[in-house]
Amino acid sequence: MKKNMYDYGFVALLSLLGLYALTNFYSYMDNYEVAILVSSVAGFSYLGIKWARFRYFFIASFVLTFLSIYLYQGDLGQSESKFLLKYILSSQSAIMWMTALFPLSLLIYWFYLFSKKEFYGNFATCMVWIAVVFASAGLLIRWFESYLIDVEVGHIPVSNLYEVFILFCLIASLIYLFYEEKLNTKKLGPFVLIVINAAVGFLLWYTLAKNADVIQPLVPALQSYWMKIHVPANFIGYGAFSVAAMVSVAYLLTENIFWRRHLPAKEILDEMTYRLIAIGFIFFTIATILGAVWAAEAWGGYWSWDPKETWALIVWLNYAAWLHLRLIKGLRGNILAWWSIAGLLITTFCFLGVNLFLSGLHSYGEL
Amino acid sequence: MSSMRFAISMLSVVGLASIIGTVLQQNQPYESYIVNFGQFWFELFEMLSLYNVYQATWFLLILFFLVASTSLCVYRNTPQVVKDIQRFQENIREESLKRNKYALEVPFKDFKRLELIDFLKGMQFKIREKKINGQDDLIIAKKGDFQKLGYIFTHMAIIIISIGGLMDGNLVFKLKESMGIKQIEMQDKPISEISKKSWLEISNFSYRANMLLAEGESQDVAVIPVKDGYLIQDLPFSVSLKDFKIEHYASGQPRSFESDLVIKSKKNGEILTRKISVNKPLTFEGVTIYQSDFQDGGSRMNLDLIDLHSIAGPLNMKAEVFKHNVMIVDNKKVNFEFEDFRLFNILDIGPEKNKKPKNVGPNFRFKIRDEAGQAREYETYQLPMMVEDRYFFMSGMRNSPQEDYKYLRIPADADRSLEGFTIFKSLIHNGKKIDKAANQLAKKNLIETKEVSQDLANSFKAIFENFVSGGYNNIAMSIDSNVPEEKQEQVASTYIKIIHLIADQLILDYQDNNPTSTPFNFDDVTVFSQDALNGYSDSFFYGSNFWVELRDFDHIQASGLQLTKSPGQFWVYLGSIMLVLGIFCMIYIQEARLWIVRKKGSKKITLAFASNREHLEFEKFVLDTKDKIKRFYSH
Ligand code: HEM
Repeated sequence: MKKNMYDYGFVALLSLLGLYALTNFYSYMDNYEVAILVSSVAGFSYLGIKWARFRYFFIASFVLTFLSIYLYQGDLGQSESKFLLKYILSSQSAIMWMTALFPLSLLIYWFYLFSKKEFYGNFATCMVWIAVVFASAGLLIRWFESYLIDVEVGHIPVSNLYEVFILFCLIASLIYLFYEEKLNTKKLGPFVLIVINAAVGFLLWYTLAKNADVIQPLVPALQSYWMKIHVPANFIGYGAFSVAAMVSVAYLLTENIFWRRHLPAKEILDEMTYRLIAIGFIFFTIATILGAVWAAEAWGGYWSWDPKETWALIVWLNYAAWLHLRLIKGLRGNILAWWSIAGLLITTFCFLGVNLFLSGLHSYGEL
Repeated sequence: MSSMRFAISMLSVVGLASIIGTVLQQNQPYESYIVNFGQFWFELFEMLSLYNVYQATWFLLILFFLVASTSLCVYRNTPQVVKDIQRFQENIREESLKRNKYALEVPFKDFKRLELIDFLKGMQFKIREKKINGQDDLIIAKKGDFQKLGYIFTHMAIIIISIGGLMDGNLVFKLKESMGIKQIEMQDKPISEISKKSWLEISNFSYRANMLLAEGESQDVAVIPVKDGYLIQDLPFSVSLKDFKIEHYASGQPRSFESDLVIKSKKNGEILTRKISVNKPLTFEGVTIYQSDFQDGGSRMNLDLIDLHSIAGPLNMKAEVFKHNVMIVDNKKVNFEFEDFRLFNILDIGPEKNKKPKNVGPNFRFKIRDEAGQAREYETYQLPMMVEDRYFFMSGMRNSPQEDYKYLRIPADADRSLEGFTIFKSLIHNGKKIDKAANQLAKKNLIETKEVSQDLANSFKAIFENFVSGGYNNIAMSIDSNVPEEKQEQVASTYIKIIHLIADQLILDYQDNNPTSTPFNFDDVTVFSQDALNGYSDSFFYGSNFWVELRDFDHIQASGLQLTKSPGQFWVYLGSIMLVLGIFCMIYIQEARLWIVRKKGSKKITLAFASNREHLEFEKFVLDTKDKIKRFYSH
């Protein structure tokens, strides 16, 4: 019963947050955006009920965000003068904290893997949680900051490569944390954190070399409520596929006696890969369809064989084949593990390579 | 053909072809392919239709086979699926139940058959009952039939989506083209001269066509680009553009493109006035009109041609974008082809590290074509731009579209106008003034050498005039041929100093004679005079004698519209919804069967489980269900 109390409390809190947003910003929203807000409240409530730690994460992110908003006092210049803003709570600092904590947790996870002291495992998980809180607070604060620049400039921070890389770190970590808890597989942290840190590395390079962290106004084609659902749905797909690939790496390593002693049982790894690819596949399908619907509205056709679209199709076909083989042919084992790792390469090309090497209508995230 | 292996190999080919289509840029002008690949590869690739992979016949054929294969698969499997859904595996044998992986016995005091059945129904099981061996109870329960329906949903969805896609493809045109009824137009022609073979009728089933509409203009046909040519699509209405607007953010980047359209139906004369913008299209008589891009629509400009190398006054020219504008200069024709006028230009400018996007004002692009037909391209900004803390007028020149522009920088005067440079230019062409300046310079030198030398003044003047006739390049050439190598550097720096000093002197003299003149009101006019010398010297590489100055303009824009008729869209969306539902069913619905046997008079039941997917999740489900049944009997 006590658990229920917290559930209701969380739902009530989210509803209040939603109502607050609705009453204060209603004039800036269209009906679709109101619908998105309401569904987000419902969706996050559901997640919070199913997954207690998500509640703490959610509340922590919002507390940081509101603190930051309070400190800003409606003036972007405050980030230079206020200590807390300058070093922790401006979006750039929050994201810097995230980029520092992820490598740290990777190190601790590896130490845990060999030392086998539970303390280090918990410590690493805790670090990832803090990193994730910084990532989501960073994005939320960035969202707010964009409005401080100018109400016209304000937009949800999922509009360019810099922003979606943070989103990727956030979502991939959350997906991993969920399964780590449910399947009790802390020992996969050392592997999953590799792919997240690769993204962090790219993010750092991109920030330093290209000044990518500057908030830019949206080009007309991106000014649509579709962006709010298309991009996050896509990144749940990308995130799940990436984590799945790293679990597959662990799966392949269990062939080796040495690793087998340190890693979870093969069946668990296999099951986890399957679940990740399944959930990734659903979201990726939805995201691709939403992309098509958006394209129909913005570009005048639901399918233009633009490189990004085409690569999304290739990614989709790849995982559809994977699922066919597993579900229908009952295939298991190393082939599927290798395949899911290859899937990561294809996914990475779709996500990043297309922006780097090919030009097309999706040229918003160019380097 | 309905085998999965066939489907997967077809899918792989689609995947591969799609990859080619993304790596090789599609639907570019054919010349650019020839330039890139050379004649041989160009022809080979063209034969394989690699420039339009997704419209290629072979690609469509593969898609067709894929649809056929999936359809066959659905056709073959559906009866089985339906049977599976209806069927309760009633005729299972006792031995196989005993051998079941999950078999388990649960003791009880009282069988409570009816309650048990209700309990199972509460757990979403569907139930059948049967007597076996004439006396024992068998309860057959199953759940999760939707998982099997998922198979039908997903595969039907794929078929429906593909059919929708094919409806919107250009199959009908391809057919007509192969029968010679229709033909792609390859040449640029006025619409009235285009053969009816290249026209598509209003009744055309589906299309995606473009229309470029200038402000004030009206059109009732659109253009469909096909391969390296195009077709004309007749529309059920006419569209006219009242106004086109670009709105900007404070930083100058475009925030929205909007067209005010007036649409008039050909059928009943109905008129619709509506604003469209990116992400906000409009549908009328089955055709959706999108804002896609914009262009200049023939802006009119009033220009001055300023001769950079003589003191002649400017020539006035009235020009229009996209029209040929011919000037007669020294009895020779000079063709100016204006290609674009832009009111706003957002450039990243400012000090290194802190560049910010900023609107730098109007610019225009043009070509100057000589009599041999060779053209140079120019891009000139109307307003001066801040570079290294000073203001310059900028004009880029390139010899071909592949090159980057090289910019000529003419310094703006203290009033930010070209006036200062024009005065400067007349001063450096004025022999008398140069004489005077050279003399003054020689006299200043006198203090050091203590010797009046007309020779010195003359040689100063010669150096300066040498510069005036060809810029620093002339000086470099004459030093190259007259001065021994080890002294060249020293001499060059002396010469440059002399040139600078004379130029400064010219401006100072001018200021003395015209004390009210403002163009040279700088704190330090020597910076301006050096910039002016550099600009003058660079202008010898500008490829044209003329600096084109924009005095005023009448901005006329053209809106780029896309007109789409897409009857397949509905089917694609319907299929998409089915696809998501289907995948959800297949992945997330746990299919399970449960048998419960109670021997007559026995005080325990035997449970057995099966599923078409027995992974960890199912094992958990089995344990859960067993627990629940045990608890059912324990109270
Ligand atoms: C382009 C997409 C797809 C094509 C071309 C395709 C094609 C096929 C083909 C040819 C078969 C074999 C039928 C036979 O053996 O008679 C098959 C079976 C199957 N496919 Fe797909 N499929 C596609 C997508 C999917 C998707 C997205 C799913 C869901 C994840 C799926 C699930 C299945 C299942 C469950 C079967 C086995 C049906 C059975 O025998 O009970 N398919 N598919």
